[in-house]
Amino acid sequence: MLQSGYKKYMSLLAFVGPAFILYFIFLMLPTLGGMYYSITDWNGLNRDYEFIGFGNFVEALREDPDFIKSLLFTMKYVIVMVVLQNVFALFLAVLIESKMRSKGFFRTIFFMPNMISMIISAFIWTFVFTQVLPQLAQMTSLLSFLDQSWLGDPNISFFSIILVSLWNGVGYMMIIYLAGLQGVPQSLKEAAIIDGANPFQSFFHITLPMITHAITICLFLTLNGAFKVFDTVYGLTGGGPGRSTQVITMNIYEEAFSNNFRYGYASAKSVILFVIILIFTFIQVSVMKKREVES
Amino acid sequence: MSVRATNVLTTVLLSLLAILSFFPVYMVLINSFKSQAEIFSSILSLPTQLHFENYAQAFQRINLLNSVKNSVIVSFIGIGGIVFLAAMAGYKLSRTPGKVSNIIFFLFIASMLVPFHSIMIPLTRMARSLELQGSTYGLGIIYIGLGVNMAIFLYHGFVKSIPRELEESAQMDGCGEFQTFFRIIFPLLLPITVTIAILNFLWVWNDFLLPLLMLTDVERYTLILATNMLFGEYTKEWPLILASLVLTAIPVVIIYGFFQRFIMEGITEGAVKG
Repeated sequence: MLQSGYKKYMSLLAFVGPAFILYFIFLMLPTLGGMYYSITDWNGLNRDYEFIGFGNFVEALREDPDFIKSLLFTMKYVIVMVVLQNVFALFLAVLIESKMRSKGFFRTIFFMPNMISMIISAFIWTFVFTQVLPQLAQMTSLLSFLDQSWLGDPNISFFSIILVSLWNGVGYMMIIYLAGLQGVPQSLKEAAIIDGANPFQSFFHITLPMITHAITICLFLTLNGAFKVFDTVYGLTGGGPGRSTQVITMNIYEEAFSNNFRYGYASAKSVILFVIILIFTFIQVSVMKKREVES
Repeated sequence: MSVRATNVLTTVLLSLLAILSFFPVYMVLINSFKSQAEIFSSILSLPTQLHFENYAQAFQRINLLNSVKNSVIVSFIGIGGIVFLAAMAGYKLSRTPGKVSNIIFFLFIASMLVPFHSIMIPLTRMARSLELQGSTYGLGIIYIGLGVNMAIFLYHGFVKSIPRELEESAQMDGCGEFQTFFRIIFPLLLPITVTIAILNFLWVWNDFLLPLLMLTDVERYTLILATNMLFGEYTKEWPLILASLVLTAIPVVIIYGFFQRFIMEGITEGAVKG
């Protein structure tokens, strides 16, 4: 069907226009706006602002120990989360996949926490950490190791944060891995076993290469999600005690909304976060794509 | 190890993990019916007496009916808008060859990498200057703007599987473009529409930071925000907090019960295409 150029663009405009306008106002402009503000000294209180070039970036990376600390804390969180979340999810998926009758039941149980919003999960666990575990510890000396300052001691609360994030997030990845595992032909595994492979060999040499695509997706999702962690930490420790468990998103939030309203400076920090996520995502995707082609 | 032994071992292991995973929810559930004193004295045991007044109080304190209403308004506008506008845009972009439509499509896709925290400051300012801040309707509209990109991506891929002949014959019969879309195409998009609606519902309903920034008036609080406020105000009143946590989690768990299959399919679908 031939359409004249004018008519073609009019219909494109009519169909795409409404979505594009909302996208433009609420996503594209703010993205560009954030980059623009990052090179100004705008704070929420003054109307006027000046361009200060890369001053904000220099300050954030050189003279802001709190920001650097939150950056390092986030990095630590990201590394531990990406590894554990995928290992646990894959482990659960493999175990569940091997079940015949109880498959649906276990899938339902392990996925359920993912339905509960992260902030509510954090509150549920706050109860467990501050009330349930200390009482458990008092009951028998066997469980006395449970009597910890789960949310008060920064060294321990890091693991508490990890635990809650895993509880909430593993189910999602498990579903994706389960779908991936279902795509592995049974005949291949059987052939490997006939050839004398043990379950581990068959897993590492048959199953794992066959689900590379699922691994790529899950690594991408966990990496992206972990950098953006906010709700869980906000609900569990609020970044405290002090700023010892503050993650980068929280540092930005504090700078912009609850501290001194330095919007320009906070924007520079958020640009740094954006760039870090872009770099890591790019590396991860390009490395995994190469692998996918090979296998 | 025999196959049988391995089988038993995995069942035991899975059951143990399942118990551990369910333990926090179980704790919240049974303790939500106890008095404060009973929580402090015997946290593990079942309640000796069911204190329903915890729930009555929580119901009131989080203003449950009103908060649910607000959450429903936000989700309804957000998801309705995302589905309709993204379906139209995804369909048209998929059917229009050429540079312009490629560039627009690329802009949508590229924006999927932008983290919310990088836009929250200008977005808050934008919402304030458009006078959308403080309104549940405004919040719903903002979700449309933030959510269409992924939905367009999914629709764009799905439309390719629908034969063009359908539209062409409809247009020969005298259907206009919009009529063709809404009568012929949109119904055919149903499978992916379900996926998109579910994924976005889970996001919008459970979201915390954006409503926190946008809604200033307690009367307009979503369910999550109301519970968050209660948690901050009544830090040590566990019976009240636990009951409100149960009330907040119930709607989602019910929906999970009904739509479990669709939710899981939606996640896989969304992930594989993404």
